[in-house]
Amino acid sequence: MNNLAFATIKELRTKLVNKEISAQELAAFFTKRFEQHDTKIQSALEVFGADSVLASSEQQGVLQGIPGLIKDNISQKGRALTCSSNILKGFKATYDATAIVRLKQEGALLLGRANMDEFAMGSSGETSAYQTSKNPWDVTRVPGGSSSGSAAAVAAGLVPWALGTDTGGSVRQPAAFCNLVGSKPTYGLVSRYGIVAYGSSLDQIGVMTRTVYDNALVLSVIAGHDPRDSSSLAVQKKDYTQSLDGTIPAGLRIGVVDNALYADGMDPEVVSAIEQAIKVLEQLGATIKRIKLPALDYSAATYFIISRAEAASNLARFDGVRYGMRDKKSSSLSDMYFNTRHDGFGTEVKSRILIGNYVLSAGYADAYYENAKKVRHMMTKNFLDMYKDVDLLVMPTAPCAAFKFGAFAQHKLQMDLQDYFTCAANLTGMPAVAVPCGMTSTQLPVGFQLYGPHLSEELIFKVAHAYEQKTAWHTMHANV
Amino acid sequence: MEVGRSIGNNCMATITKEDILKISRMSHIKIHDDEIESLIDRLGEVLNYAARVQEIAVDVVLSPSKNINVLRDDVAIKFDAQLIVACAPESEEHYFVVPAILESNK
Repeated sequence: MNNLAFATIKELRTKLVNKEISAQELAAFFTKRFEQHDTKIQSALEVFGADSVLASSEQQGVLQGIPGLIKDNISQKGRALTCSSNILKGFKATYDATAIVRLKQEGALLLGRANMDEFAMGSSGETSAYQTSKNPWDVTRVPGGSSSGSAAAVAAGLVPWALGTDTGGSVRQPAAFCNLVGSKPTYGLVSRYGIVAYGSSLDQIGVMTRTVYDNALVLSVIAGHDPRDSSSLAVQKKDYTQSLDGTIPAGLRIGVVDNALYADGMDPEVVSAIEQAIKVLEQLGATIKRIKLPALDYSAATYFIISRAEAASNLARFDGVRYGMRDKKSSSLSDMYFNTRHDGFGTEVKSRILIGNYVLSAGYADAYYENAKKVRHMMTKNFLDMYKDVDLLVMPTAPCAAFKFGAFAQHKLQMDLQDYFTCAANLTGMPAVAVPCGMTSTQLPVGFQLYGPHLSEELIFKVAHAYEQKTAWHTMHANV
Repeated sequence: MEVGRSIGNNCMATITKEDILKISRMSHIKIHDDEIESLIDRLGEVLNYAARVQEIAVDVVLSPSKNINVLRDDVAIKFDAQLIVACAPESEEHYFVVPAILESNK
């Protein structure tokens, strides 16, 4: 049964359909994997009892019997929902997110809640108020963030898929750190109904898997119009696995963003792995164009302003009144607000709320927030212009491989800049997928990103799959 | 290892203790005296970096938003309010119970 741990969804579905194994046995097997290994990896905040998991799945569909983990900012009815924060300690979700409804309808087994950076604010997993998830490739290093538990669980073979959320790179960067495929869909493709909002114009649920096919399959289940989310695009559901045949379209033009790949501070081993990936894409028949995107230099700054501003607004609701933690010692309403939010939020979350309100405040809003909106608009236009000459882009995902815990404790801005290559996709609303492309000399995974225009998921997956099938990275597993 | 240092610094006003206290009041977050220094540093470094948006935003005109409001029929749906009220730290019937707005003078 050991070969089940790192089996793909496709392989597990074959075994289920051939009745070599049952959903009950899979639930039991993977629950046991958590019992055996998660004391060390710390990916899950909670693993649910197998009976309740099986009872809440509709036992039919393309994901029937397939266990996965859900980031703890996505509502699962009746389950705890903490966003890895103390301020939501004890809170239980009262409804299922749309993505959860769709997963249950297709028979998925939702095994538990994945650890994360508090309120999705972080790039390492270190801001979680509850526990620190480890990178299964090297447990002295971070799995990335903020979808840290999701990445760690899939990379450790505790589940074959997990959901994360991606506001500035929080699915793609941990995917790259953990040798996973991590997708951030077009803004509006996946419903945000039921996600605890961080940056509402940026957030999307993303999928983390070990293979491109698996990623495309899970995205197919959760994507598509949702009348409950007013930012949801009027697109029908699509099967993104249909076009995965190991080839790329004839005449495909791929732009390599050189001012990203050769930015100051890039780890040479990361650059080298990505250059190798570019060669493979060329062998597959792509025409490679080396391009520059000047707007990239401003994307992180723009992202910091907009995301923190939206976060300050979204997190105003956590005040001890209607849910979660409350400072019971306060005798006035005002004290209750101030003390609850001081005690309930961690340092990083408080900093971001303060930054957000600062950039929105009188005297500063023009310089920061209004200008950031203009730059965002300009960036989107730059990308759209660029997509007249190329079909997809290749970018790094992160400047380095997984770093040690505490590496950025005194350099928090550098931690923030982990979003440097990923946040442009969130700002422009365009899709991007991180794909494994190599290992450093110390056996740490490296991933590159494929960026595409709005609603180009099918093309991105097709090219990513063709690349994957020509390489062996997806067959490498952490020693767990 | 520092990514993306290619743009020169364009320092905005330095963050002061008064800024921190004012913004924390606005944010409804209590800040203790021993937390102020590190917040000054943290906000300062992020805001100094973010200030570069001024350099490139010159002459950019935002066109009116293409977003349209998504409407639905205004139909009342029955749901169990108790499910929601039960989440509260303190509740009574269908009310959330909170401390008084003004402290008691007793």
